[in-house]
Amino acid sequence: MIAALFDRLRQGDRNALARLVSQAARGEHLGEMQAALLPSPSGRGAGGEGNCARVVAFTGSGGVGKSTLIGKLIPLVREQNLKVAVLACDPQSPLTGGALLGDRFRMGNSTDDGVFIRSLAAVSGHGGLAEHLDVIIRLLETFGFDVIFLETVGSGQGDVDVRKYSDVVALLVQPESGDDVQWEKAGILECADVVIVHKSDLPGADQTAAQVRAALDLSMAHAAPVLRVSTKANTGHAELWQTIQVLPARRQQPTAARLLFQAALDSLGQRFDAVERTRDAELEHLADAWRRGESSTPDAINSLLRILTQRI
Amino acid sequence: MDQPQRIVLAKVGLDGHDRGIKVVARALRDAGMHVIYAGLWQTPEAVVRTVADEDADWLGLSLLSGAHMTLVPRVMELLKQAGLADTGVLVGGIIPEADMPKLHDLGVAKIFGPGTSLDDIVSFVQKPRERTP
Ligand SMILES: Nc1nc2c(ncn2[C@@H]2O[C@H](COP(=O)(O)OP(=O)(O)OP(=O)(O)O)[C@@H](O)[C@H]2O)c(=O)[nH]1
Ligand SMILES: [Mg+2]
Repeated sequence: MIAALFDRLRQGDRNALARLVSQAARGEHLGEMQAALLPSPSGRGAGGEGNCARVVAFTGSGGVGKSTLIGKLIPLVREQNLKVAVLACDPQSPLTGGALLGDRFRMGNSTDDGVFIRSLAAVSGHGGLAEHLDVIIRLLETFGFDVIFLETVGSGQGDVDVRKYSDVVALLVQPESGDDVQWEKAGILECADVVIVHKSDLPGADQTAAQVRAALDLSMAHAAPVLRVSTKANTGHAELWQTIQVLPARRQQPTAARLLFQAALDSLGQRFDAVERTRDAELEHLADAWRRGESSTPDAINSLLRILTQRI
Repeated sequence: MDQPQRIVLAKVGLDGHDRGIKVVARALRDAGMHVIYAGLWQTPEAVVRTVADEDADWLGLSLLSGAHMTLVPRVMELLKQAGLADTGVLVGGIIPEADMPKLHDLGVAKIFGPGTSLDDIVSFVQKPRERTP
């Protein structure tokens, strides 16, 4: 089933992409997906396999205007004939598992084939991001998207995790949020590659920009650009997009060896589950010996790996 | 599998009230669903694109403008064209009795009139659905 979906994905079937993103987000078939997403030996495959997108994360407190801003950037990206996907994360209730995903309606309702907008639920404690984003991003790259915008849950936290998945982190702050001390305390500014003073149509934008600048100058050598943007007054977007494009890409494309290792880890996990279910005598014997201290941990690990590679 | 079901809620047509649809959105979220709120003034084309990209199990369409006999058939036709005929379509709004069979014939799974209780809506969408792979 996964193989059929991947065939369709490579033929440019949007529904297959959407379905695969759902499965990845739920953590289903991850091993098979990792394997299917391995780059072809020749490098750039037919379906844009070696395609490497620019991933830009937008973070900042709730209501600072992340979704609206992304909605305004989409046409600028499209003007350059680049295809853009958006992954918009909103929190999932830890109690019911439910989520209200309300970002996309602020991003405009495009029916342009070069735009893909997907809402994802983020479990708490995951840095304001949906799970398995690495796989989801690779799915989008394989489909041929050139630019990927990530919107994190508006908490102002978790920006360190965001860095792992993105080339550029854009932090949004708004005038008169009185947060200048908090930014420094939380180390939030350090995680930003560009700081956007959004809603700069509101009074106090100059002052906020100066505060951010001063905090950046104080805290470290890194000189993140500080830009003023107003989505309401429609100013600053072209300059912002320009800036984002010339910032160096942070994300390292994983080597084939590392991707293979990831796939191996997933496969080992599945094998272990299968072997454990059968209450395998050798496995139980090994585990007992290890618990009693008769077998050292490194030895026991080697024996375990042997069992897992022999079975199945 | 009790993975959360995904439902897109959209308001097509011209009237601009979203209170009702937001109340429904919250109730469905509290029932454990992933609710994608697509907003007001949606065109049938934009709604169907949203269903596609969001890989939704359900589409809840709200209409009050009386244009249901043009808008709903158009959405159903576009869903079919997009290979999404297996989406469960719910219609909320004031639909004259006489039009209901026509909408059901088009494949609408359920029509919820004004005054439907939230519990009725929630229990209807909580029934598991079969979808094509
Ligand atoms: N004054 C002003 N208001 C804006 C601007 N951009 C967005 N807003 C308003 O800010 C509010 C929040 O915008 P969103 O885009 O939903 O903010 P968000 O950061 O995505 O919010 P969450 O997803 O809830 O974290 C909306 O009411 C917008 O209309 C702007 O440039 N100026
Ligand atoms: Mg948002």
